[in-house]
Amino acid sequence: MASPTDTTGNSSASDGTPVGEAEPDDAAAARNDPGQPSTATPSSTAAGPDTATTSTTAASPSTAASPRRSGWRRVTSLQVFSAVLVAALLLQRPLAAALDGTSVRIAATVFVAVCVQALPFLVLGVVLSGLIAAFVSPAALGRLLPKRAVFAVPAAGLAGAVLPGCECASVPVARRLIGQGLPDAAALTFLLAAPAINPVVLVATAVAFPGEPAMVAGRFGGSLATAVVMGWLWSRFGRPEWIAARVRQRVQPGSGGARWWVFLETARHDLVGAGGFLVLGGLSSAVLNVAVPASWLEGLAGHLLLGIVVMALLAVLLALCSEADAFVAASLGALPLLPRLVFLVVGPAVDVKLFALQAGTFGRGFAARFAPTTLVVATVCGTVAGLLALGGAR
Amino acid sequence: MRRDTQNVLLVLLGGALIKISATDLYLRYVKPGNKWYLLTAGAVILLLAAVSLVRDAWQARAGARRPGPAGDGHHHGHGEPHSPWLLMLPVLAIFLVAPPALGADSVQRASAGNSVTTTASTSADFPPLPQGGAPELRLSDFVARAVWDRSGSLAGRDVTLTGFVVHRGGAPELARLVITCCAADARPMVVRLTGAPDLPSGSWLRLRARLLPGSATAADGYTPSVQVLDAEPIAEPTEAYEY
Repeated sequence: MASPTDTTGNSSASDGTPVGEAEPDDAAAARNDPGQPSTATPSSTAAGPDTATTSTTAASPSTAASPRRSGWRRVTSLQVFSAVLVAALLLQRPLAAALDGTSVRIAATVFVAVCVQALPFLVLGVVLSGLIAAFVSPAALGRLLPKRAVFAVPAAGLAGAVLPGCECASVPVARRLIGQGLPDAAALTFLLAAPAINPVVLVATAVAFPGEPAMVAGRFGGSLATAVVMGWLWSRFGRPEWIAARVRQRVQPGSGGARWWVFLETARHDLVGAGGFLVLGGLSSAVLNVAVPASWLEGLAGHLLLGIVVMALLAVLLALCSEADAFVAASLGALPLLPRLVFLVVGPAVDVKLFALQAGTFGRGFAARFAPTTLVVATVCGTVAGLLALGGAR
Repeated sequence: MRRDTQNVLLVLLGGALIKISATDLYLRYVKPGNKWYLLTAGAVILLLAAVSLVRDAWQARAGARRPGPAGDGHHHGHGEPHSPWLLMLPVLAIFLVAPPALGADSVQRASAGNSVTTTASTSADFPPLPQGGAPELRLSDFVARAVWDRSGSLAGRDVTLTGFVVHRGGAPELARLVITCCAADARPMVVRLTGAPDLPSGSWLRLRARLLPGSATAADGYTPSVQVLDAEPIAEPTEAYEY
């Protein structure tokens, strides 16, 4: 859906009058290169992330000088939005009837369930992100971790244990940590570790596998190793430009009461940004949930290696929340423990929902490199941790 | 997407979360414990959107009277992605369709038998059943006892079970879906019925039944068979899942 007036430059547009400088977003996006001289003036009390992060283009002369298309009333996104709402209301009956097919109905329920389950965690994540932007100075952040990446990465991994939430919460937080100047490798390690090794997840794993503490140990070790190895790999081979430039636009924290405006605006901005991608992830997870046949799991019992590969792929496709996946793994009684441990290590590190969130937050170029590498690293780390913790393949 | 549109959408999203958690609708998707998360998240989303809307309106007025730095928030500017539009999908799904809780269709698609943990529980994990009558048991508890409890607590005892009927060829089954976080991780628990009334798939039943000895082994996919003594059709309960 096109919302052609995205480029309208100021809040006077909120009265619904089409503003002349509107132009296709692609053109505006193409112009949004970080090389633009910044004319940002963070002096006003209105210093929110929008102000701080977008002023490069909003105030750039090229935008102001863009050809005006007068004489054609542009449709505003609010009008499109209203039209979609009205159409949906009018079509409610046929819409409900279309959802009558068995698969579609199951997928619809799963889709809403994934969204409803994940949104509170996303809200937690954007609130934390807002607090970091408003109240944590980059200097304070720098003092938190050891200077050398070799040590900073494991420290960031262990710090992940304190954020009790699923992966949806850690993406906005990691993004803000990078924005406020934490080294990329440390922030990415935190991103991978937080959903996997927090106490809630470990307790859930212990409850799901009574009498098998090795599963908890294996999960902790495998997930922490995945996060740390990925962090080290990033600090060795990663390039800063793989992460979208917008992530690094630092928010001006302001002072006094202005901090709270920064907090509100950052949280709102991140919620809108990540929310759409969360929905995309929920959608693909719902479709795959219905499309992946149960027969995938039958006949895997005797094939350890195949079991590991299939379980790693399943973890990516099903995109279960990290607090629930242990119970699903526990219920797959026909499989040995090792493939199920790999399932638990891969799931919180990379899945379709997380991929969508990462692509939306850090850029598609980042996600396309990071996610496949994470899958390989997590599968290997999960297998090794499982062999060590379980004392062999069983 | 324009900033004011985003805020209107956020109001709807927060409203949707509050709506389903204030009613029992949310039980179709997540477990009861999520109610307060949902209410809080909905309230936070509403607050963020409302503050932003009010502030923008106020700044627009101030900016119209006295153009200056305060009214000059460059809110749009950089080809913002269209992704926020996707947030309309859950909003529309919740307000217009409100998909039903998963049920017999999901069990049909699952593989036969119960998926129980391989790590054996011991009889010590199962306290004795209450004396007398036909105590109410969750279907998942009943299956766990039938599979693992060697103390014979179910032997010769009547129990009361609630679930929905599923026909998958063979004997009719009584099933319930167990969820941990949300409906995406639902897994079926089933028992095989002998002597059940002939009802279509998806009908909810509350029945008094007795475990048939020798069932619920690896050979029958850990599916207990029960003799139905008494069955009463009921409406779908608000808590359709077990947790």
